[in-house]
Amino acid sequence: MIELDERLRAVRDDCRDAVEDMRARALSIDADPDDMEQHFNSPVYTMIRLSNTPPEYRESVAGGYRLMKAKSVLEDIVGMVELARGDMSTMFACPCPALAGVYVSLLGNPAQQEKFYTKLHGGRTWTFFAMSEPGHGSDATNMQTRLEKDGNGGYLMYGAKRYIGHGARGGIGLVFGRTGRSALSIRAAMVEVPAAGFTAQRLNTVGLRGAYLSELQFDGVPVAADMLLGEHLPVTRRGIWGAVKTLNNMRIQISASAVGTAMAITEYVAEHRKNAPGVDLALARAEAGKQLIFQAAAKLDADPERGYFASASKLSAVRMAQQTAQWAIASIGPAGLIEHPLLEKWTRDVRAFEFMDGTSNIQRLHVARGFQSGDADG
Amino acid sequence: MSTVLEQCERIARDEGLAAGLAAALSGTEVTAAAPGSFAAVPTSKVPDGAEIRTHSLADREDIVFLACPGERPATDYTLAEIGRLLAAVRIGTVRRLLDEAVAYLSERTVGDEPLIRKQLITGTVGDVAAELEMARAYVSVPLAPDALADLHSKLDELGWQVTQLFGAAGYIADHPVRALYVSALVANTWIDRKGAA
Repeated sequence: MIELDERLRAVRDDCRDAVEDMRARALSIDADPDDMEQHFNSPVYTMIRLSNTPPEYRESVAGGYRLMKAKSVLEDIVGMVELARGDMSTMFACPCPALAGVYVSLLGNPAQQEKFYTKLHGGRTWTFFAMSEPGHGSDATNMQTRLEKDGNGGYLMYGAKRYIGHGARGGIGLVFGRTGRSALSIRAAMVEVPAAGFTAQRLNTVGLRGAYLSELQFDGVPVAADMLLGEHLPVTRRGIWGAVKTLNNMRIQISASAVGTAMAITEYVAEHRKNAPGVDLALARAEAGKQLIFQAAAKLDADPERGYFASASKLSAVRMAQQTAQWAIASIGPAGLIEHPLLEKWTRDVRAFEFMDGTSNIQRLHVARGFQSGDADG
Repeated sequence: MSTVLEQCERIARDEGLAAGLAAALSGTEVTAAAPGSFAAVPTSKVPDGAEIRTHSLADREDIVFLACPGERPATDYTLAEIGRLLAAVRIGTVRRLLDEAVAYLSERTVGDEPLIRKQLITGTVGDVAAELEMARAYVSVPLAPDALADLHSKLDELGWQVTQLFGAAGYIADHPVRALYVSALVANTWIDRKGAA
């Protein structure tokens, strides 16, 4: 069992303080994810943005924020569970470095990092991390987006991406494409929007609308050579290597999203249906999920390339959260979903986690492979 | 009853959820029979001036939620029969989307192989098809409230399994799969599960 030390408890408590603010914003973001003006100045959003920005690239902001720049995946996850207890869609709607920031910090050179993080000052710019493609999901080995040499030392990007968070409103982000045929030729390009040849549209999703999932098309988008990430690294560490590490991290974050949402759902039912059977059981399952993801995060801190525990936690935490949502639907009573729109929204939001960063079937394959390699014992 | 059940399933499968719901509620005094404060009805059946709540996904299925003020009736024979007809509608809806999923999975390939031939996918299709047969048998006889609640919870789960077969497309509101989300919402207004899950 993972016991939280003083620092981790402080992270948890800071994020726990944000829960009510996030819940208060949740329904309006679900109803109209384009209407964000009223949320930009949320102190919670400022805290999230600054916390996810390396100290050297932070803007100075009045208000004396106690920042908890994560020293570890575990620290990140302890906070994420609490924010997800608030509202995960509101969390996703926050203009901040997000997943692209994880990758930029890992593979970006100082100039790229400065460009990326400085662009986010002010809290009105979203980022995107464009890997999934229509027809291929996040199967990177079949990636079709290509970076063709433009004859002047740069590249032109052609292709399309789908299910990309904030793709249609992000100001800066990463797009993965191929410079050649081999797996090592897959590279991430930093793209600032608007850009010639770049078009994007929001997808109308069932829930989790704050994530602003989008589809993108690239028809000769110019990419300067110095906008490819990882150029300063050995060839084997330039593209997919970073993506694998980032995806392992992201899978635990999605697991935390699922666990936090399951907790929110259970607490909601307990508050509004005082004698609902199964509350203690649902809470116990969510607590087990929390322990699992804490352990998976600690494992990832020890070995960022080993994805067994990240996949195992996503597979089981997402399933647990779905089951909790089903229990809640039964427990809230006839027409309860119409009378309780926040609960109804969470029962839609929680479905999104199945489809993010690898479906359950993909996780099953990863888990089985890792198990056969002995990862369960190491 | 069995003919009516078959008709409800067939209408939902051929014409969609709202048409199936209209068939299941045919002749029902909705505001008198519904177990909760709102009841799902086809938009076309809402009386002029009636209070309704709308839902972004249900709107696209031409379904709204009619306010049912006042004391709600205890579960009775009428409500139990509506619950069975609604189960038949939901079976038809799952079948409609399962057919779509199989067509989609037969076309989409990974590594030059149609997804429908991947064992994990084939297994889900087999599971859903078998559970649909079980659900049809379940609904074919009068059911006690607990059994009816159990059947609808199984149909929620079947709908979710089919939804997953579409991958991330199963989360797009403009996709026909949204009928499965709305089907669960409809059942929430008509079935009293008393916490059974």
